[in-house]
Amino acid sequence: MLKKIFSVSMAGVLALSLAACSSGGNTTASEAKYPERGITIVAPSGAGGGWDLTARSIAKTMNATKLIEEPITVENKPGGGGAVYMAEYATKEAENDYMMLVKSPPILINNNKAEGNSPYGYKDTTPLAQLTRDYGAIVVREDSKFQTLTDVLEAIKADPTAVTLAGGSAPGSMDHLVGILPAFEYGIDPKAVKYVSYDGGGEAVAALLGDNADVIATDASTIAEYVKSGDVRVLAVSSPERLEGELSEVPTFMEEGIDAEFTIWRGIFGPKNMSDNAKEYWSTKLEEMSKTEEWKQELEQNGWQSEYKDAAGFEEYLQTQEKVIVELLTALDMQK
Amino acid sequence: MNTIQFLMDGFSIAFQWQNILFAFVGVLIGTAVGVLPGIGPMSGVALLIPVTATLTAGLPTEAAAASSIILLAGVYYGAMYGGSTTSILLNTPGESSSVVTTLDGYQMAKQGRAGSALSIAAIGSFAAGIISLIGLVLLAEPLSNVALQFGPAEYFSLMLLGLAAVSGLAGKSMTKALMMTVFGLMLGTIGIDAVSGIARFTYDIPVLYSGLEFLTIAVGLFALGEVFKTVLERDHEDGTMAKIGRILPTRKDLKESAAPIMRGSFLGFFIGVLPGAGATLASFFSYIGEKKFSKTPEQFGKGAIAGVAGPEAANNAASGGAMIPLLTLGIPGSGTTAILMGALIMYNIQPGPLLFDDHPEVAWGLIASMFVGNLMLLVLNMPLVKVFAKIIQTPKKYLLPIIIAISFFGVYAVQYTTFDLYLLLACGVLGYLLTRNDFPVAPLVLALVLGPMIENNMRRALTISNGDFSTFVTNPISLALLIVAAAWLLVPLLLKLKGRSVVLNEEG
Repeated sequence: MLKKIFSVSMAGVLALSLAACSSGGNTTASEAKYPERGITIVAPSGAGGGWDLTARSIAKTMNATKLIEEPITVENKPGGGGAVYMAEYATKEAENDYMMLVKSPPILINNNKAEGNSPYGYKDTTPLAQLTRDYGAIVVREDSKFQTLTDVLEAIKADPTAVTLAGGSAPGSMDHLVGILPAFEYGIDPKAVKYVSYDGGGEAVAALLGDNADVIATDASTIAEYVKSGDVRVLAVSSPERLEGELSEVPTFMEEGIDAEFTIWRGIFGPKNMSDNAKEYWSTKLEEMSKTEEWKQELEQNGWQSEYKDAAGFEEYLQTQEKVIVELLTALDMQK
Repeated sequence: MNTIQFLMDGFSIAFQWQNILFAFVGVLIGTAVGVLPGIGPMSGVALLIPVTATLTAGLPTEAAAASSIILLAGVYYGAMYGGSTTSILLNTPGESSSVVTTLDGYQMAKQGRAGSALSIAAIGSFAAGIISLIGLVLLAEPLSNVALQFGPAEYFSLMLLGLAAVSGLAGKSMTKALMMTVFGLMLGTIGIDAVSGIARFTYDIPVLYSGLEFLTIAVGLFALGEVFKTVLERDHEDGTMAKIGRILPTRKDLKESAAPIMRGSFLGFFIGVLPGAGATLASFFSYIGEKKFSKTPEQFGKGAIAGVAGPEAANNAASGGAMIPLLTLGIPGSGTTAILMGALIMYNIQPGPLLFDDHPEVAWGLIASMFVGNLMLLVLNMPLVKVFAKIIQTPKKYLLPIIIAISFFGVYAVQYTTFDLYLLLACGVLGYLLTRNDFPVAPLVLALVLGPMIENNMRRALTISNGDFSTFVTNPISLALLIVAAAWLLVPLLLKLKGRSVVLNEEG
């Protein structure tokens, strides 16, 4: 009788300790198990912009393909060209494995320019993957006297006040850098180039068509339609190789003897102190996602070019791009 | 094929049952987006894009594109209709383009004429919608070329004309109005300067990089300012809030509004065509113009129906006009049209010079559906006037918290930052103090819109001309606008010297 009680209690103790063990085991298992709850991808801009669309495409594809079963929500955090949320992301969210961020070259530019500086850059995040790319294009009106990029550069060299270059963003930001890059490489003082900034690429195109600018720097993807209609000519693109489609006849900067390239990439980042298993989880899932039909469909729908770089490749790439940008900003006297 | 033929084809697309449904859903959501704070036309359209993509998934690409753009555009112009509601009833503009509607709309509501104000806004919007559509059909091609000719110098002169006209918003003292204008211009310099890329008055605070949001300031000054005034001055105790009278405008109201609606429609349409100028400016210009043309300018700011009819027609016509650069040039004139453009691109349809040739069914289907949609909006909005007008009868103790909540939601939904909420509060206090001391706040708000545009365009023009100021007078359009601006300022001065009485005006 006593023995029986003892054995029962022993069994109880055993069961309890087993339970304790297994619950302990569960904790470690759940640490390994990521994600346990919904994930947020932040677009540091209002709804409808490039960052927002990219974030929404990722969320949609991941959930639709069941690659990630946990719900992914997209949050918009606009302000300061992305700089406002960047500060929050690099500090308050540094440990939060459930907050991802979509960004593009401004993460490098804003961190390195003196004006409108963001004190945090890509080093305050964990780069996870590059997903899409676009290139810059140097564009003139159909009836322009300029036939090649060299014509433009020679004209600027001869008299910088005679050529107006326009773009859709403020000096020291993307369009400006794309436009200045060939001039800089050609040995022209980039500060002497007459640059007029407009509010967005559309207004810059309008300025070109309305004869209020001689040359504009803009995205290669959006200009194709105007090439098709015969309103403009693209003199060069900033890609390493020739593009496909409408712009396949257009030479690259390299072909024009300008040793430079500039990619307008979009990628996804994790928090600075992202746990290893979360990082690995995203790396695998993103790589899988980039190969799915659904993702290819998203890219096509939005007119994006696919370019996948994994975490290591992306980080390395960011390092080299940062050098280019710092060099350019320094030449412009706009560096931090 | 001629235009009429194309338009008829467009109607055959717009009258397909699913497209009628899409247009209806679009304008319905648009009305809601316009009326409800917390969601503006821009985010409304952006958030609906994935929904329409799913809804139209089964259709062939062209048809799917036509259907979704019909719905999304419905949201866009539907929101323009609805936007006036909170301005009139609560003195709380939901969109920047309906800020000026608060000036007289809210006064009308206070006098128990909320029904008239709301219905005249709906009628004005409808008339403007139809006029701008006819303009779109007939003048798209030539106007898109004129819009392109509008360079920085022309923009500068146009904006300067706007600023010269600020006298039309002055209260009892012109000096105070000018002080407020300068204050608005100064606030407009905060942020990263778009021409040089230099950060001004930002003190390295990232939230200031993109400048102060116009809507936050306007809602703070108008809506919260009014709330504070009511609370502090115990307005609620007098209980004189008028009952709503009739819902439909009187014959006299209609007669007084007809001309302002026509003028507002044409003005709004042409300003809307210019990329970047937009509905907000159109509504301000219309208001100022109406006051100038009015035989009883002293009524403005005290509930003049022309001050509601004109601007409301203008902002709607502007949204129609904005479709021209969007469709024919692929150049979005505002944030919302940029998103509409993104939606078209999603279907591999690129707005631009080839749109009408490559995808006539999308382009003309959309235009035809806008006729249908505008009619739906009128039918939809008139009965709603009755419902909304009741809001004004809510006792002040319930109404004030609602206005505060709506202001905060509305601002946060546009800006997503707590900084703007503090700014909103600060502007509320400021608005109270200013109006209490007879400083008109409307000139401040107008200067805040115009300031950056004047400055940027002036400097763009000077960069292009290598610093030569003669560019503003050698350019014929620019010169003409400058002459009008000068006349605007000088003629009243001369009249005053001749002994005419000065216009008095009281702000709400």
